[in-house]
Amino acid sequence: MFEVPFENLGLPVRRRFLQEAGLGFGSMALASMMQDEAKAAPSPVDPLALKLPHFPAKVKSIIWLFMTGAPSQVDTWDYKPELQKRDGQALAGSDSKTGFFSTSGKCLKSPFAWKQHGQSGSWVPEIFPHLSQHVDKMCFLHSMYLKQNNHAPASIELMCGTNRPGLPSMGAWLNYGLGSMNQDLPSFVVLHDTRPRGDDQIWSAGFLPKSYQALALDARRKESIDNLFRDQKHTDAQQVAQLDLMRKLNQYHASSRPTQSDLSARINSYELAYRMQMAAPEALDINKETQTTQKLYGLDKPECATFARQCLVARRMVERGVRFVQIFAGKGVGGDGSVNDVPWDCHSDVDTNHRSCALHTDQPAAALLTDLAARGLLDSTLVIWGGEFGRTSDSQGAKGRDHNPNGFTIWLAGAGVKGGFHFGATDDFGYKAVQNKVHVNDLHATLLHLMGLDHTKLTYRFNGRDYRLTDVAGEVVKDILI
Amino acid sequence: MLRYALVGITLCLSVNHSIAQEANDEGLKFFEQKIRPVLTQHCYSCHSKDAQTNKKLKAELFLDTAKGMLKGGETGPTFIKGQSAKSLIMKALKYDGLDMPPTGKLPANVIADFAKWIDMGAPDPRQGELAAKPKREINLAEGKQWWSFQPLKEIAPPTGAASNSIDRFIQQASAEKKLQLSKPATKEQLLRRAYYDLIGLPPTPEQIDAFAKDTSAGAFEKVVDELLASPRYGEKWARHWLDVARYAESGGYEFDGFRPSAYHYRDWVIRALNEDMPYNQFVKLQLAGDKLHPDDFQAASAAGFLVAGPYPGQITAKTVERIRYDQIDDMLMTVGGSMLGLTLGCVRCHEHKYDPLLHKDYYALAASLAKTVHGTRVLDPDPVATKTKLDKHQQDREPLVTALRKFANDELPKRFDAWQKAELPKQPEATRWQILEPVAVDAERSYLKWLPGGIVAHDGTINPGTMKQRGRGAKKATPANDEYQITFQTHQKNLSSFRLDCFTDKALPQRGPGVNADGGFQLTELKITAKPLDANSKEPMQELKLKAVFAAFEDKDQPLANAVDGKPATAWVVKTTAKKDNAAIFELDKPLAGFAGGTELQITLQFRELGIGRLRVAMCTEPNPTTWAGDFVPQNVYEIRGILAANNNKVPDPLRENLARWFAPFDEATNKFVQAVRSHDITTPRPPLKEVYTTIDGGQDVFYLRRGEVDNKGEKATPGYLQVLTRGELPKAAEQKDPRIALADWMTDLEQGAGPLLARVMANRLWQNHFGNGIVRTSNDFGFQGERPSHPELLEWLAKELTKNGWKLKPLHKQIMLSATYQQSHESNAENSKIDPENRNLWHYQPRRLDAELIRDALLAVGGNLDTKNMYGPSATNDNSQQRSIYLRVKRSELIPLMSTFDAPEPTQSIGERISTTVPTQALVMLNSPLVRQQAEKLAKRIAPSPETPMKDAIQAAYRIAFARVPSDNEQDEMQKFMESQRKIMGGANPANNDKAFIEFCHTLLCLNEFVYID
Repeated sequence: MFEVPFENLGLPVRRRFLQEAGLGFGSMALASMMQDEAKAAPSPVDPLALKLPHFPAKVKSIIWLFMTGAPSQVDTWDYKPELQKRDGQALAGSDSKTGFFSTSGKCLKSPFAWKQHGQSGSWVPEIFPHLSQHVDKMCFLHSMYLKQNNHAPASIELMCGTNRPGLPSMGAWLNYGLGSMNQDLPSFVVLHDTRPRGDDQIWSAGFLPKSYQALALDARRKESIDNLFRDQKHTDAQQVAQLDLMRKLNQYHASSRPTQSDLSARINSYELAYRMQMAAPEALDINKETQTTQKLYGLDKPECATFARQCLVARRMVERGVRFVQIFAGKGVGGDGSVNDVPWDCHSDVDTNHRSCALHTDQPAAALLTDLAARGLLDSTLVIWGGEFGRTSDSQGAKGRDHNPNGFTIWLAGAGVKGGFHFGATDDFGYKAVQNKVHVNDLHATLLHLMGLDHTKLTYRFNGRDYRLTDVAGEVVKDILI
Repeated sequence: MLRYALVGITLCLSVNHSIAQEANDEGLKFFEQKIRPVLTQHCYSCHSKDAQTNKKLKAELFLDTAKGMLKGGETGPTFIKGQSAKSLIMKALKYDGLDMPPTGKLPANVIADFAKWIDMGAPDPRQGELAAKPKREINLAEGKQWWSFQPLKEIAPPTGAASNSIDRFIQQASAEKKLQLSKPATKEQLLRRAYYDLIGLPPTPEQIDAFAKDTSAGAFEKVVDELLASPRYGEKWARHWLDVARYAESGGYEFDGFRPSAYHYRDWVIRALNEDMPYNQFVKLQLAGDKLHPDDFQAASAAGFLVAGPYPGQITAKTVERIRYDQIDDMLMTVGGSMLGLTLGCVRCHEHKYDPLLHKDYYALAASLAKTVHGTRVLDPDPVATKTKLDKHQQDREPLVTALRKFANDELPKRFDAWQKAELPKQPEATRWQILEPVAVDAERSYLKWLPGGIVAHDGTINPGTMKQRGRGAKKATPANDEYQITFQTHQKNLSSFRLDCFTDKALPQRGPGVNADGGFQLTELKITAKPLDANSKEPMQELKLKAVFAAFEDKDQPLANAVDGKPATAWVVKTTAKKDNAAIFELDKPLAGFAGGTELQITLQFRELGIGRLRVAMCTEPNPTTWAGDFVPQNVYEIRGILAANNNKVPDPLRENLARWFAPFDEATNKFVQAVRSHDITTPRPPLKEVYTTIDGGQDVFYLRRGEVDNKGEKATPGYLQVLTRGELPKAAEQKDPRIALADWMTDLEQGAGPLLARVMANRLWQNHFGNGIVRTSNDFGFQGERPSHPELLEWLAKELTKNGWKLKPLHKQIMLSATYQQSHESNAENSKIDPENRNLWHYQPRRLDAELIRDALLAVGGNLDTKNMYGPSATNDNSQQRSIYLRVKRSELIPLMSTFDAPEPTQSIGERISTTVPTQALVMLNSPLVRQQAEKLAKRIAPSPETPMKDAIQAAYRIAFARVPSDNEQDEMQKFMESQRKIMGGANPANNDKAFIEFCHTLLCLNEFVYID
C-alpha cells in the first residue's frame, strides 16, 4: 500500500487553486486556443481533453440555426420560376408517397416576391430582408434529402445520421472526436424555446459516454443552468475553503488507490465546476454587449427578441471555444394554425406561417453573420441554416404545404466553404433533388471534414459494432469546399 | 413488342438466320451508340470491376458485363429482358425510388433509349465473366466451435489450497502470471462493499456494530444471507436488468406517448429477483409470459419486456410497415443483447459480418415474434387474494342464509297464512307481462348490477378487455365480445312468450341502450334454457325454441330474427335505431309446461362487442301476446299462486325459502331476512383489476427483407431459431403451439438450444456487477467481435453452477461473495500494477463509482429520509420523491437530469455496461443542488453535537454513516479546523454559526470521492 503521509499533501493548494480560478476567459483569445489544440495530446483520463484532429481543421465551431418544423425550400432559398408560372396546374411527377398527410397534386406557387441579391445574384424572397444581404457568404446545398417524412424521425436522422433513437448526435460525436477547447464551458450547447418534436433524442449523446452530452438551455427559463449557483447563504469564501479541504482529503483518498485514474479526474472536476460557476454566467450575460450590438440582433423587438438572445449567446459561446451550438428556432408570431414545437410546419398556410417565422429569425440570423464577420470569427466558425426536411411543391389544402424529405435546401456560411455558391439542384418545381444529391450522411461527412475529422475513422464500439455518425455511407462534398 | 416476340420465335426455330442476325446487329449498334457511353460515363465509377478494385463498388452491382447486369446487385436484377416497364434500372433512371445516377437525373431521351434497348432484349456484346465476389460464406459447423456457442462443459476447479472453487481458478491464473493477491479487506470495508453490492445502500452504524461484534466464522455469510433476503436486493439488481432490457415508460419519437402501466414490468423484475425466480423461468416469462399464462397479471407484466422499446407516436399508412419491422428489430436486438450476448441487429440487412449468424435466421426469429403487438390489458394482479376475499364473502353469507331459513321455518308459515287469507284474494288476476326478478347475473366482460323493478344494469366496468395503442396516446378497444347470463325462477305453468326491454339512460354512451360507443348493441344470439328447480328431479334440461315475433325498432337488413337463428355471424343490430328505448318479443314454439317443484330459466345474451346497458325480462302465460299492450306486474303474486296451486293450496316445506322471496314485498319481517341475503350478494367483492402495458394479440406475417428494406420483400418467413446455437433436430417452431413459447423453450434449452449461452451470459453479468467488469468485459457481445473471457474455465464453471442451482441467482451471488477473491482489499501493489495494470486477474478489489441511482439513494439514506416502505407502483415524476431511484420515471424524451448526469443510460438499446464519466456538472450537483444540500442539513440534524455529544463523537458518527468507518485523528483535526475556518468566515463562533459550520462539514463529506466510491 502506498502510504502517503497525510501532512505532505497539505500543499498550498488553496493559493494555487485561486490563481487558476482567477484566470478568466476574456483573455483567452481564439489564437491561443488554436495553439493549445496543437499542443494537446490525447489523455486517457480526461475524455474532454483536446484531441488532435485527423488533419488540420478549417472550422473550429459550428452554429446550427435549426429551422424547426421544416421551412419550404421553394419559399425560401430555392427559386423556381416554373412553379411560379404553373400555379394551380398539375405538378408533373407528383407522388402521393411524398408527404406525410396528402397533397393536391397541383402546383402551389410561392406567395412571396423574389429578387436577386449580391454579386452571386442569388434569388431571395421578400421575407428575408436581412439575410438577403449576406447571400455572398452563403453556400447553398439545394439538393439535400433524407428518408424520414415526419418531424421527430427526420430530426433524429438529420442530427444522428439514421432515424433510430439512441444514437449519438453530431455535437456529441464532435465532442468525442475533438475534445473541449474550453473546459470551463460545455462544448456542445443546445438552445431551444418550446422543445422541438423528438426532444432530447435529437441532441442525444446516445451510447457515447455522458461526458459528450449537450447542455440544453431553455429560452423559457432564460437559459438558466441547473445547480450553477451555490446556496445563497453559502459564500464564495466558504466554498473555496470547502474545495480546499476536499482536494486535500480526496488526494489522500486517491493516494492509496493509485490505479484509479478517475479519482484524480474527479478531483479536477470540482475545480472545473468552481470555474464554471463563473464562466457560464459570464458567457450567458448578454448585458455585457453594447447597445449597438443588442440592437443589431433585434433584442429590442418583441417579435424576434428570443431568437436574437439565442444567437447572441451562441456568438458568445463560440467566442469562448464552444464547438457546437445548436439553436432550435421557437415560435415568433402565431396565427397560421401551426404548432409551437414545429414553428415552420406550414400545413395550412405558407404565406402567413413563413412570414411570421422569418420575422422571428431573419434579423438575428443576419446579425449573427455580421457580428461574427466583424470579429473575425467567421473565419473559424461555420453557420448552418436549415430544417429537418423540405415541403411539397404541390399544395396541401388551398395554401399549405406538406412534408417533403426528397429535396430541400440548407445553407452554410463561414469558414471552409465557398460563398455565394449554389450546389446541387431540385427539379424545375423544387419537388425533388435531382442533381448532385446530398444525403445527411454526406453533409455530416463534409462537416466532420471541415472540423478536421475523417468520418470513416471517427468510430465508437458499442454492442459489438463500430458505429459512425455516417453509418455506412457518406461522401465529403468536395465541390463546396474552399 | 410483337415484332421482337416474333423474332424470338424465329430464332428458336432457327429458320431464318438473316432476319435474326440483322436484328442483333441493329441492337448491338444501338447499344454501342446509345447505351455504352452512358454506362461508361455515369455508372462504371461505382458499378464495375474497376470500381471494385478502387473499393468504390456500390450495392454489389456490376454494370460492366452483360452477365453482371442480368444478375443485378443487392436489390435484384437490373432489368427483365424485353420488359422495360418492369425493370429496376428504369425506376432508378426515372428517379422513382432509387435515383440513379446520383449526380443528377439523365435527360429524358437517354432514359427513353434505355427503355428501348431493354425492350429490344438488351443486346449486349460485353461477354466478360462475372467479377468474383469475395462474399463470406458462413460455415455453421465451424461457427459452432466458437467458445461461447459450445455445449456447457463440466469443469473441475483446479486443485489448490483454497476451499472456495472460485479462488482456485483465480489463484491458478494469478500464479501463472506471478501476481500477488491482496490481503483481505477490513471488516468495515467488506461490509460496506457487500451492502452496496447486494442492496445498493450503505450499512447503518447499528449494522456496522453488529458485524464488528460478531467474531464467528460465519459472520460474513450471515450478512450475505440477510442482504439476499432483503427486499432492497431486488430494487438494486433489477436496475441492472432494466438497463439490458432498455426499459422505459414511453414511446419516444413524436410526442413520446407515456405508458402509464408500463411500470408493472419494472415491479415484476424486482419481485422476480427478490423471490429468486430461476433465471430460465425469468427469461421464459419475458419472452412468452402472455402465452404461457394467458390471463395472469404477472406473466403479462413480464411480457412487457418485449414491447418496452421505442415506438413512433405518429404513424401513417406510408410508414406503418417499416415501423412494424423496426419494432420487431428492436425486440430482436434486445433479446440478442440481453439474453444471448449477440448483436442480432447486424443481421437485419445481411449475413452477420463476423458471427455465424445467418440473414435467414434473423427472419426465423423475427417470424417467431411476428404476432407480438403492444397494448394494454386489464387483469387481476392478485387472483389468490381475490379468491380469499370471495371465499370469505361466501362464508359471511352462511349466517344470513341460516337466519332466513330459520325465519322461513319458524315465523313465515303463520305470517303467510294470515296474509294468504286476508290479502291474497285481493291481489290482481293474471296480467299480460310479468317482470322476472333475477336470482343471479353474470357477464363475460362486464359487471352487471340489479336495480329495483327487475332491471339488470351494466355498471360501466369493462373486463378484461384488451386495448391497443393507436397513434398519439389514443386507445381503441379491440373487439372482444360480451355475453350475459341471467337466471330467473318460476313456479308457473305454460309459459308462452318472453319480452326483452332495453332502456336508455343518461349514464350510457349516447344514452344507450347499448354500451358501445355509438349507444347501440348487436345481439348475435339469445338463448333460454329451462331446468327443474328441484335438485332431485330427473327431468332433463331443455333448450327452448324461440321465434322472433316483434321488435319495437329494427333494421330490415339486421332484424330481430337474426338473434334466434342459431347463427353467431348474424345479429339483431340496434345502431341506426339506438338512442331510444327498444323492446323485443319472442314466442316459444310450444308453451313450456314447467317442472314440478319449479323451473329455473337461464337466459343467455350473446353480443358482438359490448352488450345492453339496461335491460329487463318479462314473461307471459297468455297464448298469443304479440302486442306491446298490457300491464307490467312483478312475478311475485303469480309465483305464490303457482306454488299454492301445485300443492293443494299449501306451501310445502322445501319451498318455504322460495316462498319467502316472493312473499317479501308483502311482509316487512320477511323482507328484512330476504333483503339481508340479497344485499350481501350485491356486495360480492370484485377483483381489483389493473391495467398493464404488455403484448396483445395481433400482428402479421413476416417476410424476408432483402437488405432489410420493407419495399424489397422476399418469401414469407417461418418461425425458427439461430442455427449456430441449435444442436440436433428440434421440433419445428412453426409446428408448436405458439412460436414465442417455442422460442422461450429453445432459449432455455441446455441440450439442444441456446441454454448454454444464456447461462454464460447471465453468470458473466452477475460477476460483472460484483467486480465492476465481467469475465467477458463486453457483456452484451459474446460473438467474434466481443472480448474473450479472462478466465474461460471459471466462466464455464459459474455458468454450470448457475444451471446446477436450478438457475437460481442467489446461491451464485453467495458463492462469489464468499470467495477470498471478492473479499480482497482494494489496495494496490506496484509490481502487480506493472504485470496487470487493468486488474484482469483480480489481484485486488477494483474500486468503482456508484451508479446514478445509488448515489441518490445513498444521499437519501444518510439524510435519514429514504422511503423504503413504499415499494412498487407508478413512477415518481421527479427526484423530489423519497422513494428509491428505481421508482423514478423513465420517460424517453425527458430523462431525469440527475440520473443522466451520473451516466444512467439512454433507454433505447440494450446496455450491458454503463460508462462511468467524470464531468464538472456532476461536481455542480454535489456542490450546489438543493438535493445534496438538503441531505447534508438532514444528516447534520441527525447527529449534531450537543452537550451530551461532543464534536469529536458527532464527526465520528457522520463518518460512520457516510463512509462506514471511523475517521483518523488527522481527519478529526482537519474537520475541526475546517469548521473553525467556516465559523471565522461567517463572523465568529455563535450557536447559529456553529450549526451552519457543522452543516458545511456534512456537505463536504457528501462531496468527497469516498462517498461515491465503493472499494
